[in-house]
Amino acid sequence: MRRPLIGLTAYAQQVKYGNNDLLAGMLPMTYVKAVHATGGRAVLITPDDPDPEILESLDGIMFSGGGDVDPANWGAERHPTTDTDPARDRSELMLMRAALDMDLPTLGVCRGMQVMAVATGGSLHQHLPDLLGHDEHRAAPGTDPLAADASAYGRHDVVVKSGSQAHALLGSRLTVNSFHHQAVDDPGTFTPTGWCPDDRVIEIIEDPERAFAIGVQWHPERTGDLRVFAALAEAAAARVGPGRRALAA
Amino acid sequence: MRPIIGITTYVEPASWGVWHDLETTLVPHAYTEAVTAAGGRVVLLPPDDLDADVVRVLDGLVLAGGADLTPSHYGAEPEPLTDSRPRRDAAEMLLARAALAADLPILGVCRGMQVLTVASGGTLHQHLPDVLGHEKHRPAPGIYGTHDARFDPGSRIAGLMGDDVEINCYHHQGVADPGTLIVTGRTEDGSPEAVEDPARRFVLGVQWHPEVSRDMRLFRALVNTAAG
Repeated sequence: MRRPLIGLTAYAQQVKYGNNDLLAGMLPMTYVKAVHATGGRAVLITPDDPDPEILESLDGIMFSGGGDVDPANWGAERHPTTDTDPARDRSELMLMRAALDMDLPTLGVCRGMQVMAVATGGSLHQHLPDLLGHDEHRAAPGTDPLAADASAYGRHDVVVKSGSQAHALLGSRLTVNSFHHQAVDDPGTFTPTGWCPDDRVIEIIEDPERAFAIGVQWHPERTGDLRVFAALAEAAAARVGPGRRALAA
Repeated sequence: MRPIIGITTYVEPASWGVWHDLETTLVPHAYTEAVTAAGGRVVLLPPDDLDADVVRVLDGLVLAGGADLTPSHYGAEPEPLTDSRPRRDAAEMLLARAALAADLPILGVCRGMQVLTVASGGTLHQHLPDVLGHEKHRPAPGIYGTHDARFDPGSRIAGLMGDDVEINCYHHQGVADPGTLIVTGRTEDGSPEAVEDPARRFVLGVQWHPEVSRDMRLFRALVNTAAG
């Protein structure tokens, strides 16, 4: 049986590589490797598309991390630190709504989880340090969040609601990395099922009415714990052939 | 529904924003813009050497530019200036062979033409200046060479280019033996600049960079065939 085809939303971004400095369609390889390691075939979808037809060719979709979502999408004023890419927002909100409508297995990572909330009528906190008085969701204490690499990510625990899909997948408590300054406020049509125990920032959202629709606020693809990717792949594989069971909730 | 066109990607350490030298799958956006403007729906294909099943969902394929092809793919030993990415090569050769076997419309650009050639049983010169005695196909880092090409009358590329013969080159390797493809375009020094497989729906390789010059003719031809 063929591997499930997983679309990953990608950026169109100015990048430097070798002697080049140009606009490229791109994504960190960590996401591609996470899909490959859990049995999927990764393809990237850049934000040029006026329609979501590509979803019909996919078995699952992952919305990747990246910049902030435009607060105009929920009628809020822009915070001074909010930094957006309108083309990416337009494309991803459209793809998210269409993916959910057709019940395509969907995983949101970091920004991807925020897109899940906003696409379904929710809203975000635009700058956690203003709300919480600390920046520990973006960087290890004492490090400069704007000079970060993965080693300087924040870390904190997540507590998970018992009986939820996330609980069946991840257990009741886990430690995660953290690199975000925004967070879900109103989760839209999603249900929050995981929080940072120190400050109740929402870290997991899910929609149990759907085949597989889960968002996580951290970056699992940067860790050895790929359980959410494995769950996406299994849900996607269930669409490929009869007789393959999706991950039981 | 628009035809789905896969574009193969590079994997390179890249830097942007706060990220430095992060291993990244990427392709110059000019390729995506060209295919989209020509009416195609792009998916980017990071290298994956497990299988080429993705061909199943594609209506067309662009083999993009990039580093040199590992010479073992055409039975040669690496020469000193050959700089390759073995994992991309293994994956792209698998994909190219599967796409040819499936008679998928394929456009090979620069390295992509070389991949098409080797997938069709051909071989490459690993450093053209050694063969030709000049560096005009890659004058200096970041500097493209401008050439006039000659295209075979009646060939697909001649039909697409018409009276236009100016091409922008940036390569140090080139086609030696075209395998089962035919050479349908050359620069004035005889170096192959276009290859085709007339036995298939649409197989065209060009050694130059039509996406850089925003030349829509080739991309439109690929997308129209893919849609048809």
